[in-house]
Amino acid sequence: MKYPVSRRNILRSSSALITLPFMESMGVSQAARAAEASDSPPKRMVFLGIGYGVTADRWYPDRSTTGFDYQLPDLLKPLARHQSDITIIQNLMHQYSADGHSGSTFWLTGANRYAVPGQSFHNTISVDQVAAEQLGKDTRFTSIQLASDGHSSSGGDGHGPGSSLAWNRFGKPLAGLTNPVATFHRMFSDDTMPLAERKQRLQQQRSVLDTVLTDARSASQRLSQSDNRKLDEYLQSIREIEVRLSKEEKWLSVEKKQPSKPLHEPNGSLAGYEEIRIMYDLMVAAMQVDASRVFTYRMPANALIQSLGATMSAHTMSHFSEGERRTVSQSRDTAHARLLAEFIDKLKASKESDGSSLFDHCTIAFGSNLSSVHSLTNCPTLIAGGGSDFKQGQHLVMPHPKTPLCNLWLSMLRGSGIAVDSFGDSSGVIDDLFG
Amino acid sequence: MSLNLSWQSGRSRRGTAAVLLALIFIVSDAHSGESPQRATMPVQHRELFERHCFDCHDSATAEAMVDLEGLSLDVSRDIETAEKWAKVLNAINSGEMPPPDAQPLPDEHKKAFLKDLSEQMVLARRILSDTGGVITLRRLNRREYANTIEALLGVRPDVSNLPNDQASSGFDTQGASLFMSSDQIEQYLAAARNALELAFSPRATPDATTIRVEPEEEYQERYATAAAEMRDVRDRATAFLNQDAKPASEFGFLDEYQAKKQSKVEWLPRMDDYLNRPETKHGATLIMTIKQGGYTRIKLPVLRELQDGRYTIRVRAAAYPDARERLRYLEFTTTSEAGVQRLGWRKVNAPLSDPEVVEFPYVHRAGEKKQLVIHQRSHQDRADKNQNTIDMKANGIGTPPGLWVDWAELIGPEPDDRRDTVLRRWLPEKPESSSEKQYATSVLTRFARAAFRDKEPDAEYVDRLVGHYLEQRESSQQPFDAFLDPMSIVLSSPSFLYMLEDAPETKAEPLSGRELAVRLSYFLWSAPPDDKLMQLGITGALLNDTVLREQTERLLRDRRSDEFVRGFVHQWLHMDRLGMFQFDGVQFPTFDNAARELAGEEIFQTFRVVLDEGMPLDTLLKADFIVINDLLAGYYGVAGVEGHYFRKVAVPAGSPRGGLLGTAAVHAMGSDGQRSSPVERGAWVLRKLLHDPPPPAPPNVPMLSRLDGDVYSARELAQAHQEQPQCANCHQKIDPIGFGLENFDAVGLWRDREVLDKRGKFGARVRLADFEIDPSGQLPNGTVFQDYSELREAVALHSEDFARGFTEALIGYGLGRPYGFTDQELSDAMLAEAARHDTSVDAFVHALVQSEVFCAK
Repeated sequence: MKYPVSRRNILRSSSALITLPFMESMGVSQAARAAEASDSPPKRMVFLGIGYGVTADRWYPDRSTTGFDYQLPDLLKPLARHQSDITIIQNLMHQYSADGHSGSTFWLTGANRYAVPGQSFHNTISVDQVAAEQLGKDTRFTSIQLASDGHSSSGGDGHGPGSSLAWNRFGKPLAGLTNPVATFHRMFSDDTMPLAERKQRLQQQRSVLDTVLTDARSASQRLSQSDNRKLDEYLQSIREIEVRLSKEEKWLSVEKKQPSKPLHEPNGSLAGYEEIRIMYDLMVAAMQVDASRVFTYRMPANALIQSLGATMSAHTMSHFSEGERRTVSQSRDTAHARLLAEFIDKLKASKESDGSSLFDHCTIAFGSNLSSVHSLTNCPTLIAGGGSDFKQGQHLVMPHPKTPLCNLWLSMLRGSGIAVDSFGDSSGVIDDLFG
Repeated sequence: MSLNLSWQSGRSRRGTAAVLLALIFIVSDAHSGESPQRATMPVQHRELFERHCFDCHDSATAEAMVDLEGLSLDVSRDIETAEKWAKVLNAINSGEMPPPDAQPLPDEHKKAFLKDLSEQMVLARRILSDTGGVITLRRLNRREYANTIEALLGVRPDVSNLPNDQASSGFDTQGASLFMSSDQIEQYLAAARNALELAFSPRATPDATTIRVEPEEEYQERYATAAAEMRDVRDRATAFLNQDAKPASEFGFLDEYQAKKQSKVEWLPRMDDYLNRPETKHGATLIMTIKQGGYTRIKLPVLRELQDGRYTIRVRAAAYPDARERLRYLEFTTTSEAGVQRLGWRKVNAPLSDPEVVEFPYVHRAGEKKQLVIHQRSHQDRADKNQNTIDMKANGIGTPPGLWVDWAELIGPEPDDRRDTVLRRWLPEKPESSSEKQYATSVLTRFARAAFRDKEPDAEYVDRLVGHYLEQRESSQQPFDAFLDPMSIVLSSPSFLYMLEDAPETKAEPLSGRELAVRLSYFLWSAPPDDKLMQLGITGALLNDTVLREQTERLLRDRRSDEFVRGFVHQWLHMDRLGMFQFDGVQFPTFDNAARELAGEEIFQTFRVVLDEGMPLDTLLKADFIVINDLLAGYYGVAGVEGHYFRKVAVPAGSPRGGLLGTAAVHAMGSDGQRSSPVERGAWVLRKLLHDPPPPAPPNVPMLSRLDGDVYSARELAQAHQEQPQCANCHQKIDPIGFGLENFDAVGLWRDREVLDKRGKFGARVRLADFEIDPSGQLPNGTVFQDYSELREAVALHSEDFARGFTEALIGYGLGRPYGFTDQELSDAMLAEAARHDTSVDAFVHALVQSEVFCAK
């Protein structure tokens, strides 16, 4: 069968917006991978978004004690053994964020929701995706998004609109793996289908895209200019799938690596605390086999507090005052600290070939766009790891109370060797993090 | 006239003052219906800036890169300018500016400045969000997508992986905000394939069967075993405690402490009470247990993916004479992987001596695997368990049961030829004379045309679809399977997913009949046109005003218009707040899942009645009837309402009900799950009823921590907002309205005093204080009211403002774009037209549908 239309022709002709910004080299970068194996261990990034913020009056260290010699608040005591490897930064925020129920939507983007007239929602690329464009080139998964479901339950988890923490080049949401079982299979289970059939399936998937594009083209001819701009979102999305398929094809004949300590399929009923723990384990395992170098995790809030014994919803908890709501809020903070400390333990225990640990080459950011209740200033921000060559072990209070959170994202990008001039509304890097 | 004004130009040229005065005039006219062109800060605030800000923020210094001297007065000039003003607003609101070492702003000036600026910001936001009348290409939103697939295939797709379009604010019909992503396209392909497989999977409807469940078979044994175990523990503990020789371990206990604790067997009387009831030998009494599985549940057989159809559940049951009101109901639920879903409630009135049979209809959808479960009414939290413990401490047994169930039956499925119809419609037998290719071409052309809402698919596109089919056939797929690929492609193509409307040659060219039919049916049904409407569209008959009116009426009368009632009203009134907080079931024992869900339903049903009976719109502000069913009547304490269906009931003398302000839902939405919030309620009334929206709450306002730990009435708490000028500016307008609603508690029940309590043991409430309620207050226009009934009267006088707000919302929902100033003429015309028809709701709908804007691209 012969089809006269080529995908790329359509993409080229339909609109100037489709500039294929992250066009990847179509050739298999075997050479790159071979070279990389002998190099120093790869840089990695992990972003952990908690949705509804923290118990703000007790989560942050005392502002008068900054620098390396500060007292870790009681709520964060489980992290004490890692105190010299973590840093808490105060006074970071996004100037445009104004929605008191969105802890994750703009957390990694810093976008202005109302930047486009006549449109009630707008977002821009998230920092993890900027990182993934470079760090993710040579791994099977350009980036991995984990996003606990249950977000739609009463009051939600405080994450706000979105499908995960990640937003693509066009400011559109990226879907996440919603549970440990799906995550396990995606990262570690090999397709049982024979190679030839998988190749054929890819070919069919491409062909499907060609067909819908035929319809898009004929539709586009009859639409007004402004409607065509809207239809471009569809075309951009098709283009993204194509890039994904190309990558899949490259990796088709490469078997998925298993971690040194083999994992078993997780129990499907894990929720809340145990779910976070196993998701952390899966991330560690994925790093061990270098399945990906960029991770985001939109963490459960309702399920977490319920697994800790609370019967209220996370939204109800977030409006805490003295009493039960505050108790639940604090137990959530400590549970997160405990889980994060374990995660760091495991990263430290995983050794790279040169004797350094995964933790030495990884940068972790933990926090939310919401600090407490509906407050969007002083976003709770805790970073860890040696991946960006940060001077860890500090308590930083930025001199300006509205220091862009994007300055941290820019610092992480640059620290991890990604040469970018700016990110979001960044005004520079955070100098105190660099030696 | 140049509007590129700034403080600078105002400073140097006197002539500008006149221009500014003119602008102030325009702005101050904003609420009277004139179309304002700009949001502008009045010049008189310049002095404040000069005195307090320019030291650091003039053009020369511009500390922190903030140059207020060069900032345009025209707040709505562009997004950048508006953002700068927003920062000024936030900085002053949060007390960040002026800095502590600078001279503070005089309260009066600060207040006046913030009032003007926050109002201009609201105006600027609206001006800047104006689309100039452009209706952006619309993707089917999640509701519409599901309805459209169902209309085509007779099965409802699983849309849980598609984005919930209501999350991104405004209405979920607004094209500009309905985005698309690559994951979504893959989800569309998967969801379509799944739905097609279900719709086309060959299976015969099984004969209807009746399966009866006798609950005593499960519960007699379970509770008897539990009782025996408790006795055993008690006997062993007693034996151990009555001797000194042998250690606790020989009696099965860790130590004396454990033995003492377990010797109490607190829950044995609950089991004994159950087992001693003779009726539990041949039925089940619905009780609450702590360790024996919670509620007594009647479990019907699991219905599987292909057992779809209509079923009837029959339950033979009776009520105990002393049953508490809420325990007189059966709650029908389903459990599945997705969780528990409540279906509805039925009241049981019959005495034990003469049980009755209660019926409940159930539709099982293809592709779902669910178990029907029946139990007593439930709470969101573990309140029924806590209440049971509290009752046990008081009466030794636990909460007295309400109902007894003899048996439950599941009957069905009813014969249904819908699936055969769908099959025959899309997959007719291949005529012997035609080739595979001809056959596929005809099947796929027809399917694509229908899916594209009667738009002819492109020939090349159909060729490609046929190619997919033939490829599958070559790999030896059966015709049925071979159609799955191309058909799911159709259901993921732009012509299906988007409501395409041809670009006009000239501006405001009318829609074609077909396009108008599509727009109309998605407006009122959130679904594609049916055959009748489509035919009228294709022939162009629909372009005739009279035909269009008839069809609008027909669509509104059809049950499918429930999608409009629910979709529109839910978003218009911000009813998502009803689900945002959890209500403590011990604190609010009667506001359980049933009461909360039906309280929301009351709003829809009330709107439905007002719509169907052609009542004036302001019936929603004040009415002498309410629309409730038996369960809500029980909740409100209205006597004489039997049956689960909603109907009009006259408001009893002395009752505060009637109109939206009398509904439990509105008050529950104006609470945080614990206490009433005069602020939330006042703001809601201003936004939704008085069409005088206050500026959005500024983020980052610190909590009033000085009040922590002390006990204040809601009125006192709200008044604390007014201590600081930046808060007073809005709150003196918002809060007094809320004060008038203080006689409604957090769940909308009437109260004479405000009781403040906290959670104690087993969730029992411990009283902290109670307060006299002072329900007096005033509306922003100065109308003073002494109590709730005077407030309602005062609000009801604003029926014109209410109608304007309703009209703007209807335009936003119906046209699929945010209401803008360019729509002023349209809303004026709609209001005038509706006024000629006694402001009946359908008159607004007709006026919109008949407007040039609705009928043109």
